[in-house]
This record gives sequence, structure tokens and C-alpha cells, in this order.
Amino acid sequence: MAEQKPAAPKATPAILRYGLALASVALGTVAAFLLDNYHFRGVEYPLFLFAIAMTVWYAGVGPGILAVVLSSISFNYFFTDPRFSFYVSRADIPYYLIFILFALLLTWFSAVRRRVEQQLIESRDTLQREIVERTQQASLLNLTHDTIFVRDMNDIITYWNRGAAELYGWTEDQAVGKHSHQLLQTDFPLPIDEVREELLRTGRWEGELRKTKADGSRVFVASRWSLRQDEEGHPMAILETNNDISDRKHREEEIRKLNQELEKRTADLEASNKELEAFAYSVSHDLRAPLRHMVGFTELLQKNVSSMLDEKSLRYMKTILESAKRMGALIDDLLAFSRIARAETRQQPVSLGELVKEVLPDLQRETEGRAIAWNIGALPDTFGDRPMLRLVLVNLIANAVKFTRTRTRAEIEIGSLKKNDAVVVFVRDNGVGFDMKYAHKLFGVFQRLHQSGTFEGTGIGLATVQRIIHRHGGSVWAEGLVDGGATFFFSLPSHRR
Amino acid sequence: MDMFGRILMVEDDPHDVELTLTALGEYNLANEVVVAGDGEEALDYLYCRGKFQGRTSENPAVLLLDLKLPKVDGLEVLQQIKADEKLRMIPVVVLTSSREERDMVASYKLGVNAYVVKPVDFHEFVNAIKELGVFWAVINEPPPGSVRKR
Repeated sequence: MAEQKPAAPKATPAILRYGLALASVALGTVAAFLLDNYHFRGVEYPLFLFAIAMTVWYAGVGPGILAVVLSSISFNYFFTDPRFSFYVSRADIPYYLIFILFALLLTWFSAVRRRVEQQLIESRDTLQREIVERTQQASLLNLTHDTIFVRDMNDIITYWNRGAAELYGWTEDQAVGKHSHQLLQTDFPLPIDEVREELLRTGRWEGELRKTKADGSRVFVASRWSLRQDEEGHPMAILETNNDISDRKHREEEIRKLNQELEKRTADLEASNKELEAFAYSVSHDLRAPLRHMVGFTELLQKNVSSMLDEKSLRYMKTILESAKRMGALIDDLLAFSRIARAETRQQPVSLGELVKEVLPDLQRETEGRAIAWNIGALPDTFGDRPMLRLVLVNLIANAVKFTRTRTRAEIEIGSLKKNDAVVVFVRDNGVGFDMKYAHKLFGVFQRLHQSGTFEGTGIGLATVQRIIHRHGGSVWAEGLVDGGATFFFSLPSHRR
Repeated sequence: MDMFGRILMVEDDPHDVELTLTALGEYNLANEVVVAGDGEEALDYLYCRGKFQGRTSENPAVLLLDLKLPKVDGLEVLQQIKADEKLRMIPVVVLTSSREERDMVASYKLGVNAYVVKPVDFHEFVNAIKELGVFWAVINEPPPGSVRKR
């Protein structure tokens, strides 16, 4: 990556460096001799200085000193009178001293210059490396998918990465130099002064912004701003990172709409539930009163005039009374049925075996004087609403008792079986049964498969059973044969709901 | 209308009033009954105001109260009676068509003394009324300050 450092003089072997001192002085001496030979006077002095300067420059201070010493000796031996002797006359001493001082001065200057140049080269290299590094970092910013751009304090874009170009559709050339908020038509959720105030105070700002792409479409971004400051803390530039959150925003919007709809529907449902309740309440109060009056006044009429009436008229009156009472029973059953829909179901442990034992005495009036063979198997414990499950058993067992009335010996079996993840309870009888063709009608409200004359009832019992079991998350079904008995099943989820 | 009686009946339906009076008539209790057609009239009677201004201030021995009434409904009447130091001792029997659990619960919470659902069957109805009338107006010893047997 970085360039190889130029070889410092210290890096060259000492022998070469001192050799250079020797060689340059020798070369200087030879050159001086040649020039002296051609009667050029006084050139040896600058020649030796030149040799010393060369040595210092290329080999450093140590060889430079050596060059000074060698030059002095050579100068003394070869070029001062008496020639070819080391004799130094008193008069020449200042001359030598000046030469040596001058040479040392030169050495020192050269060394200093050399050092300065070395430092310059080093800092140039550092700078170069830094530039390379920065350029690489900048290109790294281009690699990211995130949208990053920098703008100055006047919001003029100075840097625009590839992610920004991809998101907004403006190329770097198009974006740099433009006013950021104008180019992107930024919508701020709060006054821009507040944003700037927070940015300047804390050095950063985060928020969700709406911006516009080059093609005019709107985009939601999560925006993060960081403030760049110089060494004295003056704000210099703003780095902004954007993430496209349009999808998330759309989903949030959809969820919000769905929630609104749900709330509306819940409110509608609650309202209609309330209406239903008001309706049931009104039925319970207002519908029974006229019936009571019909019955009451017919009875009073009967009491007053029965001695005057013929048999047919008496039968008419009896029919009026029976119909009114039957309607009363229907209203009561219907209200009870609607109460099941409105009531909360509690979840508590219920022993179905105990419940059956509890129910049987209730049916004493219907079973009295009848030959019934009860066959009650083991029944499971389950979770559910006890009073409601009791009603289920009462209805099913009462049905079994009712529809075996024509048998001299009734057989009623109550048992359970396990099926997948549910407990199934059944009530089987050897009564009049039913045609499987009509099995689907059994559990409907006011649906009856027998004529009123044969078996009494309002047709609400099995509908009640079905509604209760459905509310417990189970199901009901029946099997039967005309004159061959019937079996009613209900299932309950074995785990707690 | 009698201005004075042992039984105050609050009932807006004239047919129900007639049937009730007929039932009570069998025990010669019909002339003991004062009828108020709505809750406001019942309160007027109890507080001896309005058209009952001149009556003696004794309390009835029992109050037969329908729940669905014009103006002031039965539960409000019950609440006012049970909140009033002078009236709270009057035995109150709710006599209503409704079997609604919330009415029953609300009535008992307010301190009702009995809650009777009017049966559709006339014989049952007559029996219920007779028993009520006899028990509360004849057998039961009313609290002090009530109308005494004539």
C-alpha cells in the first residue's frame, strides 16, 4: 500500500559511508592536483569544502567529520607551503582554524538541512497514506446500502453516497451542491428550528421524515443526523443517514386501519348485543303479561259461564287456555335459550359422573312408575361451566326418558369414550328413535320430529344442548333408527381452553 | 280509590290490577288495597303528598311492587324506600312478569323482602297472590307505625 520509505543514510552500511568520506576527499585531492598542475591557484579550498558537503549530504555527520579531518590533513600535506610535509607554520594556524570551522559549519548546516528534508519526506508520505486511507473509507461508504450524505451548515450537499443515489434517484453529480431540503422536499414532523436547535445542542438528531424521490414518489425514512465540529467546536457539517421505512409505515398504516375496523365491529357487535338484551328483557316483561291476562280472564269467564256452555264451547275455551300456556312455555324456553348465548361461560373443573348423579333425582316426576334400566358408565372429569353442562345432561336424559315412554322396559345408557383430543359423552336409549334423514334438523330451534300430540315439548332442548356445547368448543351429533332407539353424543375438548 | 289500606299495590296494567284484586277478593282483602298506577304515585302516597295529601300518615303493611312502571320505575321506588329512615321498614314484595336475573339481583341488593314472578297460569297466579296477601297483610306482624287491621 504505502510507498517504500526512501533509504536513510543511516541504513547504508557504515563502511560504505566512511568509504564515501575517504573517496570524496581523495577525489577532491586528485582534482586539486590536476587543477594545480594547470596553474589554477586557490581552488583546493572550495574543492575540499565541496567534498565535505557531499559526504555530509549523502553519508551523514560521522563521515562528514572524517572528511573534515582527512581534508585538513590532505590540504596541509599537499597544498600548503612547505609542500609534502605536515609542518604547520604559526602564521598558517588561523588559516587552518577558519578552514576547519567553516567545514564544521558546513557539516552542521548540511546535517540540519538533511534532517529537515527527511522530515518533509516522511510527512509527505504520511499524508499520502492518509489520503489513500480516506479515499478508501469514502469508497467504503459507497459500498453500504444505507443512504448517507453530508451537507454543510447551509444545507448544501457536499457528499452523496451510492445508497443515497439509489434511494432518491439523484446521481452524485446532480445532488452535490444542491440545497438538501429543497432537492428532497423534506417534510418535518416538527418545526425545523427545533430540529436544528437539538442538533446544535446535543450534536445529533433522530426522527422520521417524509422526502420525495427524483421520480416524484414519496418515501418515509428513519433519519439520523450527526453534527461535525472543528477543533474549536464550531459546527462544520451535518452527516445524515436515511433508512427507507416506507414498507413499515404502510404496514403500520394498514394495521391501524384494521384495528379501527375491528374496533368499529366490536362496537357494532356490542351494540347489537345490547339490543338483543333489551329485546329479551322486553319480551320477558311485556309478552308474558298479555298471556297472563288471556289465561286469567278466560279462567274467570269459564268459572262464570261454564254451566251455560255446551261441550264444544267448553272445549274451545280449554284450547284457548292450553294455547296461551303453551305460548308462555315457549317464551320461557326461548328466553332461557337466549340467556345461554348472553351469559359468560366460566371454566371450572366439572365431574360429569357427579353431575349425572345430581341430575337423575330432578327427573323423578317423569320416571315415576316406569321400568327403566339405567346403565351408567364411568364419566370423565372435564373443564366447563357447571350449571350449563348440567343443563346439557338434564336435556339429554329427559329426552331419553320421554322418548322411551312407549316401551314397557326402557333402557338408558350413559357412557363416555375417548376420541383424539376430546372426551365424548353419549346418552343412548331404546326409545322411538328418529329417521337419520332428519338428523340435521334435530338441533335447530323449535325443530321437532314428533307430533305435539305424541310427545310434548317446545323443541328448544336440543338447540340449548348444541349452543352450550359449541360455547365450550365441542360438538354434538346423534345417531338413530326409526323405532330403534337414539344415541346423542357431545364432545368436549379435554384440555382447558 | 281507597285512601287508606294495608296493601299498597304499585301496578300500571289495569288487567293485572283487576286479576290481583279478584284473587285477593276471595280472602276479602280487596278493600284493603290501595293502587298506585306508577312509581311517582306510589311515592306520593308514601310521603302523603299530591293527591294523597290528606291521608293519615301510617305506612302500609306491605307494598306489592311491579318493576316496569311509567315515570319512576320499580327499582327506583325500592331504592328510595330503603334509603328513607321512615319507610325502610315497610315490607316490599316485588311482583313482576320478568324472570331476568339482573332484576332479581338488583332487587335483593336494594333490600327487597320477597321477589315473586307472576305465573302465566291463572290458578298459580291466584294462589301466589292469595298467599302473598294473607301472609303479609294478615299473618305477618307489620312494623310499628303501620296500618292495623280494621
